[in-house]
Order: sequence, then structure tokens, then C-alpha cells
Amino acid sequence: MAAPGRHVGHYIQRNGRFLLCNIEQVLGHRSFGWTPAVRQQAAEVNQELPESIVIPKKKTWSKEAVLEALSSTVGRDPTACPYMFQDDPFLTPRTSTEFRMFALSQESGRDAAKFFINSNPKFFTKDFAEPHIPCLMPKTVSLVLEEVSEEALKERINLRKVSAAVDMYDQLLQAGTAVSMETTHGLLDLICFYCDKDPAEEEEPQREDTDSDEPKPKGRIHRASDFIKLTWKENNNAERIFNLLPERDTRCYSALIRGMVKYRAPAKAYSMYTDMLNNRVTGDVHIFNTLISSVVHLRVNYEARWELVTELLYQMNQQKIRPNILTFNSVLQTLRRCGPIGKSLSLQTVSEMKALGIAPSLATYEHILCLFHKPVAQKQYGADILQEIVSELEGTSLTCQDPNDVLFFATAMRVCVDTKELELGYKVHSLTEFGENYKLQGVPYQRSTYYGRFFNLLCMMEHVDAVLKWYRRLIPSLFYPNVQGMMDLLQCLDTDNRLDLLPDIWKDIKTVGHENKSEVVEEVLQLMAREKHSPEVQESFATCALDVKNEFEVKRLLQWSNLSLSNVTIVLLRANKTQMAWEMLELFKSYNRVPSKEVLDAFLTVCHSDGTPQKAVELVQAAAALCLLQTPTLATRTLAEFDLTEEQRAILTELEAAGEPSD
Amino acid sequence: MYRFLSRTVCAARNSSVIVYESCVLPAKCEKAMAKQTEEPVVLMAEDGSTTQQQTDVKTEPVVEKPTEAAIDAAKSGKQHLLDLLVAMKVEVTSKKKFKGTTIKQNYESIKHPESKSEAMESTISMFQKATEAASPPSETLEPDLVAAASAAAATLPDSNRAQSVLLRQLRERKAITEAQKKGDMSKLGEIIADMKVGRQYSRQKPSASSQITFDDDERGYTRDRGITGELVGVRRRRNFFLAKRLNIFSPTTEDDAPTLWDMEFANNLSQVTNQAPRNGFEEMIQWTKEGKMWQYPVDNEAGLEEEASVSFHEHIFLEKHLEEGFPHQGPVRHFMELVVAGLSRNPYLTVQQKKGHISWFRDYFQQKEEVLKEANADLN
Repeated sequence: MAAPGRHVGHYIQRNGRFLLCNIEQVLGHRSFGWTPAVRQQAAEVNQELPESIVIPKKKTWSKEAVLEALSSTVGRDPTACPYMFQDDPFLTPRTSTEFRMFALSQESGRDAAKFFINSNPKFFTKDFAEPHIPCLMPKTVSLVLEEVSEEALKERINLRKVSAAVDMYDQLLQAGTAVSMETTHGLLDLICFYCDKDPAEEEEPQREDTDSDEPKPKGRIHRASDFIKLTWKENNNAERIFNLLPERDTRCYSALIRGMVKYRAPAKAYSMYTDMLNNRVTGDVHIFNTLISSVVHLRVNYEARWELVTELLYQMNQQKIRPNILTFNSVLQTLRRCGPIGKSLSLQTVSEMKALGIAPSLATYEHILCLFHKPVAQKQYGADILQEIVSELEGTSLTCQDPNDVLFFATAMRVCVDTKELELGYKVHSLTEFGENYKLQGVPYQRSTYYGRFFNLLCMMEHVDAVLKWYRRLIPSLFYPNVQGMMDLLQCLDTDNRLDLLPDIWKDIKTVGHENKSEVVEEVLQLMAREKHSPEVQESFATCALDVKNEFEVKRLLQWSNLSLSNVTIVLLRANKTQMAWEMLELFKSYNRVPSKEVLDAFLTVCHSDGTPQKAVELVQAAAALCLLQTPTLATRTLAEFDLTEEQRAILTELEAAGEPSD
Repeated sequence: MYRFLSRTVCAARNSSVIVYESCVLPAKCEKAMAKQTEEPVVLMAEDGSTTQQQTDVKTEPVVEKPTEAAIDAAKSGKQHLLDLLVAMKVEVTSKKKFKGTTIKQNYESIKHPESKSEAMESTISMFQKATEAASPPSETLEPDLVAAASAAAATLPDSNRAQSVLLRQLRERKAITEAQKKGDMSKLGEIIADMKVGRQYSRQKPSASSQITFDDDERGYTRDRGITGELVGVRRRRNFFLAKRLNIFSPTTEDDAPTLWDMEFANNLSQVTNQAPRNGFEEMIQWTKEGKMWQYPVDNEAGLEEEASVSFHEHIFLEKHLEEGFPHQGPVRHFMELVVAGLSRNPYLTVQQKKGHISWFRDYFQQKEEVLKEANADLN
């Protein structure tokens, strides 16, 4: 009874499968969600056939993929303030100094908070996030394990407590406990990296990589000063522990050599290296990289330097160590200090890299550019080489492989400026705008150097309209121009005869905080006063000049000079602001400055056109009071041109006569 | 027969349902054979109520429509249903199906001529159960499972108690599922379900026009695929970057653990290239990298960290766990297959929980082995 039922069921089941197959064929392009039962049946079928199901591998998705796609849809708005400042409109920086201050304080605030949280974990036990976010909780920065054990040593190494780790190691040795090789490596690395000193308390050893760029200058300065203070001491803990080791392998030597080179004991490092060779231990790529970078300090002679570099490279090859990009970059860096032999050898080095299948990084190109580009040289190879580099790099997304990579763009732009290659400059700039390449422009200082040079090139070579277009795009959203940049722009306006834009530029100058730089202000005034313009332009110039006067008078940021006073007066006179011009004349007196002949002439002309002889006489009297040499000439001119009363004539004649003896 | 015909309709709509059904089938026959007088009645009563509920709260309208069509068909007769089938454009296969079902029907009518109408009804209700199984778990158990459980329990002497024990275990699993489901994704699920219902609602006409909706579905599907394809492209680009970055950060590939020097070098590089975020998304990327933010849900596995290392096939192909400890045929096997089929489609349990669930049944049936042997003696 049961058997036939099962047969029927089986039959139907088979048919069902057949039906499914048919449907699947008909609708083959639809991806059906197979359910396990069908899978199983399929597997059963396949068991009869030799095939087997290959289960596809799980796909892993990047956490940021969606965000990156979204982010790529957001363009840059040159009129908006940078994103990082949008939270504080009141504090939005306007100058590079303010920018620096803002960024540094933002970062130091973050560091302070982190320090406080980490040093007082007991106040931060509440976990609000669900699911848990580990990095928001305080990190353990204090030592937990107290007993003498290898675990405790590891903990000290992980927390980068150099002296505590050394103490623990000594205690372990005294207790007769053997420390594993791995832990010893960690310990030696730690001691050598920090040169046997605890890393400074305020400088977080595990700095957040992704903190905004601002801590960098700070971090750098701190570290630079640390380097200056610290030098490799004879028989420090690293050497002591190293000498106590029963056997020394490559990692131990590597740590010591790198530490010695880092803390400026290259000769010691080199002798350590020879010691390593004598002990028949092979090196690693880091040892050679550091040694090559220290060659400059080991040899004085250019040829000797190169000899040592080639010797090291040959030894690398003998020991079957594959060089990496850093090896060749340090070779090129050494070649930069090898005098005239550097040029040809650098090209050979690059060919060697390519033969080994190592793609040059930006730092490689930067070294080559520096080798070939000499601003004063007669023949310019730099531009040709840059041309080649740019055509090779065009349209590629660059990644940073060497800390020196970030120097490339600034150097490339310098080459463009020196050789006045505008087209090349544009190409370099479009390379920075491609993809995420802008990240390789480096820290803010390097970035502003780059943009400063680019803007300089534009002002020098480009038409004023194009310059102004770039000006609006770059300033102030990307960088804050320095005084030189502003002077370049003013010169460019002058060259292309667009002085009518000066009032606008003056506003920008005030925005970027150069209104207290006398050379910029003088230049603006000079340009405004030099020629006559249409009445509307003169009117706007006069407003601008009054604004400048305000800077001098009210804010007292600058000292009046003869020239600036004269220029302001002339601009005001041309705009028929006689009353204000008279006030300016008063200023000459109060600041003991001497008005130029042009100013006085301009005054007389205005008086003449206004038909106010009394003013003209007063002017001559004022000139006489200032003991000007031009007084007699002025008096003569007044006498000749104006319709004067007897009394005025008498005064003028007297002044004219008074001037003559002094002539 | 109706069940099967409507199932073919279903297959065109939703392959998972038919699959479910096809694994249910052999058991159906056995059940029909070993039919107890009271059991189906109980089942039907329960089915009737659940069906009523289901048609109201159904979250998978794709299945819902043919269900109604099938009910109509059942009422007006076989001819009506055939017409419908023709309209569904599955003639090629429906012929063969029809043969199969005819045989079955014949068989049923021969064996139980008196309970034919009853069987018909029960088959209809079985279909309802099948559709129900495709819908997300509700508070009641799938009637199919209940039926299978009772079939398995029927082989034991104290069938009522055994059935309740089995059902309790199933309900427990359901409770766990519900709890884990509610944890995070219930809202999202609701939203999606709502969207689907709204979209389908206007087209809901139980007639031959279902062909059109079918085509619509297809188009919708390809559109979906287009979007995924786009994402794949994004992903591929990302991969390219990743490959390059790895090149930087592990300069010493021969070393398993990065040394302090490597870490500091990588640190240095990232500090040098680090730029302030230029927009909100970049800031969010930065936070994600720092771990300050929950990751943006790039797939449907957000929040399933513990399952991240488990491949999908471990979730889906659970039959291998039935290889040992269970009989290879019979009602127990059938019941377990249903359990496994349900588990394989349950996204809210971890693989460990699924295995535990299966092993509970393994223990249970092993404890009852003696009784089973006695009961199975005449079956084999």
C-alpha cells in the first residue's frame, strides 16, 4: 500500500523537477532564487554525473564603497568655505595664519579630549552605542599586568613604554626566564625606534592616522625637535640587550641598524652591518634601504659615495634580497648629493627599476627633476623631463608609496615657473585634480607652495581674464595667497590694463589679511594714482582710497609714507573730492611728510577748474609753510592763471620772491 | 490536482514555493494514505482561520494573486483552471504536470472515494499553507509543518503528546527568530513589504491579466540587476585602489606581523597624504575608517558580524545535517526535510542555532527510536 503511493509521489516529484527545468530554460535569463530542496535534487542528479557544484566564494564589500560613490558626486564649490570650517562660521579663517590656528586648535582639542578620556577611563564607562563602537571607549594606556612574565613584557611593548619594557626584560633575565625571539624583536624595535627614551607623554604614540591634516606640522615639529635632542648613545639598552642575546638574527640586526641610522650614528650602523656579514647573517631590505640613505654621511667624496651605493646594491643581489621602491628612491636621493655624476646615473637607476618591474613613485620623479633642473643653468632639461613624466602619469590615480611623494607637485610647478611653461603647468595641475591625487599635495604648507607657484605662473604667462578665472577658483577656497602672489596679480592687472578691477582686488586683499603689508598697499595706491581713468572708475578708486586711508588712520596698521599720502590725495582730487583732498593736505603737515610737485600741481588745476582762487592762495601758503622748493613755481603759476584780488597777489608775489633766494 | 496545477502557476511566479511543494509531495501521498479520520478535519479548521488571516496580512503579493485565482478555479471547476493555465503560458510543462496529477487524483479517488471532496479541500488548503510558508513567519506555525509534525507524531503511540512536543520545539524556534528579527531589521522589512504591497495592489485582478504582471515583474527584475551591476562596477574600482594600497602598507610581505617600523612608516605615509575632508561623505568615510561610525549598509548583512565568516551555503544546504541520526525515509524524514527547508530560508538564525535546532530533533527522535521502529515496521 505504501509502496505504490511512494512511486506515484516519486513520479510527480520527477515531473516537478522536469517542469522546473523547463521553466528555467524558458526564463533562463531570470535569476531564480533556488531553494535548498531543488539544490539538493540538482546535487543528486549531479552525483550521477561526474560534475560537482562549485559554491561561489563570498563577496566582500568595502565598508566605504557606498559612501565613496556618494562622495564622488559632490563637486567643489569655490565660493563656499571649506567643509572643515562650516561648523564655526564665526571662526572661519580668512588668512593662512588663522587657518593654521584654527586647524591646530581643532586638533589639539581632539587630542586633549582623547588624553582626558584615556587617562580617566573610570568616568567613561557608559556605553551608549548599540552595537558597540570600541574606538569611542577609553583605551587602556596604563599597565595592567604587574607580575614578572613575558605577557607583561609584551603589554609594555604594545603600550610603548620603553623603560618599563627594558626593566621587565632585565627582571625576566635575572629570574632566568627565557624570552621568546618574537618578543625580543618587538623589544629591540621599540628601543631602537624611540632611541631608548620613552616617547613624549603629550605626543600620542598611536596617533590617529586619519586625523585631519593639521596635526602634521605640529607633529613634525615635535618629532624634528626630538630627533635633534636624541642621538644614539654608546652602549644604550638596545646594544646591551643585543649583546646579551645568545643568537642574533636578521630582525635584531635590522632593528639596531635602523635605529642607529635614524639617530644619526651611520658609522656605527655600517660597522654593525659588517659585523652582521661576518656572522653570516643575511640582511633584509630595510637594512639596505637605511644604509643607502646614510651613505651621504659615510663618504664625503662623490665617487666614493656612489661606489658604496653600488657595493650595497651588489650585496643585496648576492643575498637574494629584492629591492623595493624605497631602495631606489634612497639611491636617487643619494645621487642628488653626488654632484655632476648624478644625472646620468639617475637615469640608469630608473631603467634598473623598470627592469625589475618596480613602478617609479612620485618621489622618484621628484628626485630626477631636482637632479636635472637647475634654475640658473643655460640649458633646461627639467621641462623636457617633466613633460615626459606628465605624459606618463596623465590620467592615473596616484598612491603615496614614499613620504617624499608629496614633494613632487610643488617641485614640478617650480620647474614650470622657472621655465615659464604654461601648458606644462596646466597639465601638472590637471594631474592633481584627477581622482584622489589631490591628497598627494601634502601638508598645507606644501599645498600652498604649490598653489602659490601655479598662480605665479598664471599671472606671468596667462591673459588677465584667465588669471581672474583661476583667481576666483583658487582663492580663498584652496589657498590663501601670500604677498608675492598679490603683487603678481596686481602686476598682471597692470600689464593687461584692467586697473578698473583694483577696488575689488583691494577688498580681497583685506579679506586675506594683507591690508597691513605696506608693499601691497603702496602698490595698489601707486597703480590707482598713476593714470587718469573714466569718471566712474575714478569714483570707485576714490572710495577705495578712502578705505585705504581708513586703514592708516583708524586701524593704524601702517605708517603713512610720502608716496602713499600723495597717491591718495591725487586719487581724491581726480574724483573731485576736493574737501577730502584738503584734509589729506592737513595730514601731510601732521605727519611731517612732503607732498610731491604733482600733488600740488593737481591741486592748482582743481582750484582753477573750480574757480576758487582763495584756495589756490592757501595752497601756496601751505606749500611755503612746508618749505617746499616748488613754492615759487606754484606762486608764479597761480599769479599767471588765476583771477586774483590785490591782496592775494601781494601775498603770492611775496612768496614767489621768498622762494627765489633759496633756489 | 488543483494543488499541483496551482503550483505550476506558482512556479512561474515564485520558484521557491514550488520547490517547497515538491519536497512536500511524497509526504502528501503518504499522509493521504495513512489518513486518520479526525486529523485532516482539525487541520482544515486551523487552515481555514490561518488562510483568512494570511490573505489579509500577506506580505508577498506575488504569490497571493495566483492563490486567489486558484481558489476561484477550484470553485468553478477544472475547465476554468485549465483556461487559466493556458493564459499563464506554461502549456509546455502543464501537460506533463497534468498527467502526473491525474494519476494522483485517480489514485486518491480509488483509494478513498468517500473522502474525495475532503481530500480536495485539504489539497487546496495545502496550497494555502505553501503560500503561507513563503510569507514571513507569523505567530502561528506553518500548517504544512504542523501537518508533517502530526504525521510524524502519528507513528508514535501517544500521538497527541508527541505532536505537541514537536510543535513546541518549532514554536520555540519561531520565537527566537522573531526576537532576532525584531532586533534590528523588522522596520526595514516592514517598509520593504509595504512598498511591495503598494506596488502590486493596483494590478490585483484575479484574471488572465496576470500574464502582464508577470512581464512587469520580469522587467522590474532586470532593472534591479542593472543597479546591482552598477554597484559591482563601483566595487571593482574600489578593489583596484585596495590592491595598490596593500602594496604600500605591507612592504615586508615575508613578515607575518607588521613591525613597529612598518606601522610607523604607514602612519607617516597616511599623515603626509591626509587631507581635510572636502564634504560630508568624506568625513563619514573617515569616521568609518576610524571605526567611529557604524558602517554604511553596503549589503544585507549589516550587523551580522558573527555570521560574517559563514558562507551562504552553510545556511542554505542543511540537508547534510540529516545524513546521520535520521531515517532516510518515512514521516520523520519528511518532517525533518520540512524543518530544514524552513530553516534554510530563515535569515534570522545563526548557523549554530540552526544546527542546534536540528540536533534537538535528532536527540528527540533517537530517544523515541524504539517506538518508531515498532510503528515503522508495517510502513516498511
